[in-house]
Amino acid sequence: MIDVKTKITSFFIFNSSFGPKEGEELKRVLFFHPNHISPDARKNQVGLCEAVVKFMSTFSSEPCEALQTQTKRYIFYQPEKGYWMVLVVTIPYATKATSAIGETRGEVLNPSIMSDLLVSAYKMFKLFMGSFKDIPMENIYSTCEEFFNPYIMSKNLTNDISDLIQGVSYLPLDKNCFFKVICLIDLLEVTYPDFKCISFVYNDQLIWNGLATNDMLTLYQYLVQTLLPKQVEKEIQGGAVAAAQRHGRFISPPDGIRTSDDLKKLVKVYLRCEDDTESKQYYLIIYRTLSATMCFTIDVNTTLEIETFRSLDAFIGPHLSTIASTISEQCALHALQTAQMLGTDQKFVYFNRLNLAYKSSASLSKLVPSTAIKPEVLSIIADIHTDRKSLGNYGEVIIKTPDEYWITGKTSNEREFYVIIQEKNANLKEIADEVKRICEAQMKGIFFYPM
Amino acid sequence: MAKFSLDDSEEYYIKLSDQPKRFDADSPVTNVFFDDTNGQVFTVRSGGVTGVTVIGMDNSKNTSFRMEDRGPIISIKFSPDHKILAIQRNHESQNPVIEFVNFKDLAPTNVEYSHTCKWKNAKLVGFVWPKANEIAFVTDHGIELLQVLPEKKQLKSLKSTSFSGAWFSWCALSNIVLLAGNNGALLQPFLLNNSSITKLQKLELDAARPVVERDVFLLRLCDATWCAVFRHGVTTNVTAPGPTEVWLLLVSGTVSHSTHILKTGLVGRFAVNVVDDLVVVHHQSSQTSLLFDIAETVGTDGHVGQVSHAPLLPPAPLRPARVPDLCPMYSSNWVVFQPDYIIDARLGCLWRVTLVPSALAHNIPKDDIPRIVAVLLRRSDSEDTIYRILVQLVENTDSYLVELTKVFDEINSVYKQWAECEMARSVAGVGGNAGTEVGSRTPVVVSQTDFCTRVLHARAHMPRLVQVVAAYAASLWRQGLVVQQPVAEACVRVLVSHGRGGRLRALVRRRCLPDSRPLACQLLALGELQLALDMMARLQRTADIVEVLLGWDEPVAAAGVSRSSGGVPVPVPARKLLAAARPRPPHTFLALYHALQLQPVTSAPGEQCDIYDEYYKQLTSEQTS
Repeated sequence: MIDVKTKITSFFIFNSSFGPKEGEELKRVLFFHPNHISPDARKNQVGLCEAVVKFMSTFSSEPCEALQTQTKRYIFYQPEKGYWMVLVVTIPYATKATSAIGETRGEVLNPSIMSDLLVSAYKMFKLFMGSFKDIPMENIYSTCEEFFNPYIMSKNLTNDISDLIQGVSYLPLDKNCFFKVICLIDLLEVTYPDFKCISFVYNDQLIWNGLATNDMLTLYQYLVQTLLPKQVEKEIQGGAVAAAQRHGRFISPPDGIRTSDDLKKLVKVYLRCEDDTESKQYYLIIYRTLSATMCFTIDVNTTLEIETFRSLDAFIGPHLSTIASTISEQCALHALQTAQMLGTDQKFVYFNRLNLAYKSSASLSKLVPSTAIKPEVLSIIADIHTDRKSLGNYGEVIIKTPDEYWITGKTSNEREFYVIIQEKNANLKEIADEVKRICEAQMKGIFFYPM
Repeated sequence: MAKFSLDDSEEYYIKLSDQPKRFDADSPVTNVFFDDTNGQVFTVRSGGVTGVTVIGMDNSKNTSFRMEDRGPIISIKFSPDHKILAIQRNHESQNPVIEFVNFKDLAPTNVEYSHTCKWKNAKLVGFVWPKANEIAFVTDHGIELLQVLPEKKQLKSLKSTSFSGAWFSWCALSNIVLLAGNNGALLQPFLLNNSSITKLQKLELDAARPVVERDVFLLRLCDATWCAVFRHGVTTNVTAPGPTEVWLLLVSGTVSHSTHILKTGLVGRFAVNVVDDLVVVHHQSSQTSLLFDIAETVGTDGHVGQVSHAPLLPPAPLRPARVPDLCPMYSSNWVVFQPDYIIDARLGCLWRVTLVPSALAHNIPKDDIPRIVAVLLRRSDSEDTIYRILVQLVENTDSYLVELTKVFDEINSVYKQWAECEMARSVAGVGGNAGTEVGSRTPVVVSQTDFCTRVLHARAHMPRLVQVVAAYAASLWRQGLVVQQPVAEACVRVLVSHGRGGRLRALVRRRCLPDSRPLACQLLALGELQLALDMMARLQRTADIVEVLLGWDEPVAAAGVSRSSGGVPVPVPARKLLAAARPRPPHTFLALYHALQLQPVTSAPGEQCDIYDEYYKQLTSEQTS
């Protein structure tokens, strides 16, 4: 496990066009982490990156992605024209020959995880603040400060498979239960036409989504990684309060919605709904009962009435708590079945690019760190995952590491399936058969291209 | 309380038949008799000398004839086949005698005869025709069942049973006679069937509160025979008697509750009819009628086998009738007969009482919609009304989504029962016990196909149809029914046309729409390739998958699928595979060609593959050279 706080050397955002004249270089730096770096050092770092990026542009139309020096690795990401986000990590180096780098590689954050961190950071920023270019120049410094400081501090990145393949965990439900959720959403949207339900999450698993895939992932990550853990902590601390709040409450804004003043505190977000063509600005309202969380959007041009929210609260509370308890029964049942099925120590990861569904065997989940994947294995999976082209629409690759790990990567029809097997005396055929067996057992009802 | 009112519905849910049968009004020289077995009115002018006219609902059985006046008539009835007329007269002698006249083509023949009951001193209370050639004399000594032999002008006694009864009630639909003994404290039913008399379980009433003739009726309701008894002033408070209740006591039949109590909440004179398995209680002083449905599920009130019912709807008057001008309703000249006849002897009108199904949904509280739909589902002539209600709810989903959901549940629970019945019947075999099913009523069944064609199709662009189909499909699953193809198709169409592709994908992924080939093809057409291929794989439509893959120019995968799936190789013409591989790099073609050669049975290069064989040779020679 690698703690980002100790490993991120710096994280900054710049735009060269903001201070074109000499002496105004600092204006180009929209945000710089960590804080204590002197302005001169900042200028130097940013200057280096500007130069590299500019230099690289003469060779390729593709923007520059990374720079590696003997001690540092720079990852660049240009989300909007002229805006560059840069993440810098230190790499352990020895004065040995370059071949030794392979051995120490595991200790560094995987580059694709670093790059994903930048992408997620930008998407999260865009969700709450909108695009960089839409923010007036006089506000952009404070906006970035306000957003990225807590974000980067709270980010607890590890070399974990779930950081490598960022997906959404869907909660399996039986039809009746799922329809209950759907019908509740319908009833709410019909009764309160201004409200649109964009997601329904139980614990940290998604049941319903009404957003375009990318925005869904961002909102899901916000809920599961930021908002809900805080809520759960609050609920555990104030046990008695939680019991009294059994019928649910608004958890965004954090203090709930009680008076019309609270309406001014509503969070605004930029989102694209699943069947829409463009992003719009909405108020984001999040409601929670027991373990069920519902997110709603309201168009920002709507006049808000506190009465509507009170009535919604009274309406949704009992409904949601009934459904939440039904779901919890289902979950208990399902957990039992899964426990039986996953009794073996198979290690697999499933990911569907279309709906971002992510599923891994119990032995790979974060709850069991003892069996976490070795960095080399992770790095191989990262390579297969990142390099979509070589496997094409369908394909399979089996890689054996020197220490008897067999890593199989399958892609088929926008899906990815990885199996990790540690088996000293196996041959390729045995591994292929075993993978096929696991695939058939775990992925029932899914079409995989034949191999 | 929000109200719902079905468009174009009227306020009167009970009406009299539009064209009453007219007959000569009761007068000093004209006597009017009614035979409730055949539903015929007999008007006897001057004792029959100036003519007898017989009028019934069935015009083909109407007739008129003359006969001699041999004394005042008490009762006059045709046998069910209209070949024998039986007349009971008030003779001085008071002998239990009935006269018979043989009829041919509804005209009297000269063959006349009479028969005296076996108990010579008995008082004849009446007679009934249980069968075409059988007549039962009901006397204060008992019942005698006789066979009429019209050719021989004789009657042959079949069976008799002794019972001391003062009056009786007759149900022609079930051939049951109910005799009242012990001054109305004991009611004894007899079944006249198979040329025999069967004594049924007697009904014991409170001895302190005997019943009188006008308060007792035999009713046929929900495939069972009931004795309806008016219990007036149940609270036994003399100064302020409580409201009247109608007690329905089971006489014969299998039901879950043997006693139903209909709470009228009113006091006064009542009459009762049965319309479409509903009990209609007419109340004279308020000039209103009440509807009760004993099939309605209500909580029992503590007593085993006993349930209480409130009226389905608030009391409402009968729709005013015209003959041709407005005529007095609930008149004191009215006589009510079972099951659904009303006679106004003064006006000379015979009506039947009928239900106006659409009026049941007139101005009712919103919450009552599902209940009323449940009631309508048990009626025989309400299909149209149910669809109208559905359509109106669907068109106003914004206000009625909750009610619509419950209505779907009612509809689908009936549909499920029906489907299970059908299933059981088909399992039992065609010839099995189909005969027993004929008698039982089939309720209104709104099948999935009907719902799609009659409700959804014309309204594909209603803004809330997405919610409607979700509620409908949810209800089907809740009832444990499988969503059928038409509904699945409608779901897809609605979701796609309303731009709700996301929901469609979610439903398919969670298997909320059942797998089927048409659905898979629809998904394919919509570009949902992943979902479509998954579904085909689940359906084991290997041939389809092969076609799809060939269409995507992926011959190798297609060959793989044809070989590997499900163990059974699917023959795919090698020609197709090779044709698809031809434009690909040579190694692809070669690999495929070799693979096909290894599988000579299913798809070896062969028929119509000459050009590919040549191409193969060309490639291999290039390689070797």
